[in-house]
Amino acid sequence: MVTHEEIMKIARLAKLSVKPEELDGLTKDMNSIINFADTVNSVAAADSDFDNLNNLANVFREDTVVPSFDREEILKNAPNQEDGYFLVRRKM
Amino acid sequence: MEQYSLILKLGKLLRSGEISCTELTQKFLSAAEKENKRLNAFVKLTPETALKTAAEVDRKLAAKEELPPLAGIPMTLKDNISTNGMETTCCSKILKGYVPIYDATVWKILKEQHAVLLGKANMDEFAMGSSCETSCFGGAKNPHNTQRVAGGSSGGAACAVAGNLAAFSLGSDTGGSIRQPASFCGIVGLKPTYGAVSRYGLIAYASSFDQIGPLTQSVADSALVYDAIAKYDPMDSTSSKKALPAFSSLGKDIRGIKIGVPKEYLEGIREDVKSALQSALKVYESLGAEIVEFSMPSIKYSLPVYYILACAEASSNLGRYDGIRYGYRTDHYADRNEMICKTRSEGFGAEVKRRILLGTYVLSSGYYDAFYKKAQNLRGTLIKAFEDAFAHCDVIAAPTVPMTAFPLNFTARDAVETYLTDICTVPVNIAGLPGISVPCGFGSDSMPVGLQLIGARFSEPALLNTAFQYEQAARSDVFRAVETGVAL
Repeated sequence: MVTHEEIMKIARLAKLSVKPEELDGLTKDMNSIINFADTVNSVAAADSDFDNLNNLANVFREDTVVPSFDREEILKNAPNQEDGYFLVRRKM
Repeated sequence: MEQYSLILKLGKLLRSGEISCTELTQKFLSAAEKENKRLNAFVKLTPETALKTAAEVDRKLAAKEELPPLAGIPMTLKDNISTNGMETTCCSKILKGYVPIYDATVWKILKEQHAVLLGKANMDEFAMGSSCETSCFGGAKNPHNTQRVAGGSSGGAACAVAGNLAAFSLGSDTGGSIRQPASFCGIVGLKPTYGAVSRYGLIAYASSFDQIGPLTQSVADSALVYDAIAKYDPMDSTSSKKALPAFSSLGKDIRGIKIGVPKEYLEGIREDVKSALQSALKVYESLGAEIVEFSMPSIKYSLPVYYILACAEASSNLGRYDGIRYGYRTDHYADRNEMICKTRSEGFGAEVKRRILLGTYVLSSGYYDAFYKKAQNLRGTLIKAFEDAFAHCDVIAAPTVPMTAFPLNFTARDAVETYLTDICTVPVNIAGLPGISVPCGFGSDSMPVGLQLIGARFSEPALLNTAFQYEQAARSDVFRAVETGVAL
């Protein structure tokens, strides 16, 4: 069983805020999902090397200089910006 | 080859001058505008881009220039495929207003071929869902019956093609998101081999699973689109040089091939779906294929393996949405940490948050070994099981989904119950294999049923040909055109 405290801890790690009125429902949902995920522990598995399961090999290329994105273009998507920087106000 | 190909048919009409590309595009745009109120396939229409490309195609046709097969063909892109200068939202509030400053490689290729982009297609938020209903724009509906979902996550992409509002769509498939909506909407959907198609510019959900592929009305059309987009791309480090063209393989004799049917794929399948699959296998027998039943016990735990690993990757991939550089930012906050937490909590929908939480949980200290590491080990076991299977059969056949399209508002029920419906599609993504869904008849509710064919890595030419031969033999019994949209 996952407790309220554990859900709050995971939410903190995931940078999500949980309102008190959401906590019961979310804990119930997460318990059902985690119990479902836990079924992997009902089967035995041999240790496998899982670093490269998709069998990919490095593809090398020359390190050539290419034009980068334009700073002003990138900043256009920012909710707030000033003087070429992303802007986040310290206090609201 | 050309019999059921809409792309080749439209290409002929354009080249013979029976219709101009501008006229064709206008037909599709006005159909899309009209039907979208009912079907919600598009989250954005792009008439300016479409008509500009169409005018260019008309100029080239008038000058008798040689054009690639996709030139002038009206199509859509799922809204997680980046389009330079056009809003790309993943159907999430957190990305509303985000305008990419570069094109995804697949869109760059299609642009070079002068494909006509009609708009961006609806999807489950961040491709997390099986009904398209987690979209912040509301779900796409099924053109065969608007009381049913189009499926997900590429629901809008499937809906547009099935509803004759686009000749083809590009979707993405992380756990079945191309094949499942293709099955629900009665069309063809191809999830290519991992590495065959570049994901540069595809907004990431779970990077070791995500793959872009086509949704079309016929197998030949899927082959044509696959051949165009399956190109090595230095911008995607998982991109491979091994992909081979598929279209030229269509029509080859399949007598003597072995089609494997793992019995685990038939457990818990609705009876009407099972009988549609069995009829399809009979067609294959009449074409000279040998059906081999066998057992793959590891399929049984593929669902929890998929959800553990995909959510772990998602929790990391979605860490970038912090309200600082792009997208939504909350209005009120006391400090920077609160700004990030509130932005994410207000910007993400419930399903995305559940998956981020699960992913964070399985990666957190104390749970990593029991969940993440265990799931990776089981992933290795499943990959090995498929390798063994392909040592004694050429193709694997299975249902695409254990049922037909759900009624609307299905996601309102328990999350795990929805996850269970992905049982037939996720093994393909876990093992990085190509899989295709082809219409194979109708359920007792007269909704379409999909036959899923699975091949070894980079076996698209043989896999698509196997699907093609079935389509040639059975099309009139298993495919039903919808009477909406553009008829030509």
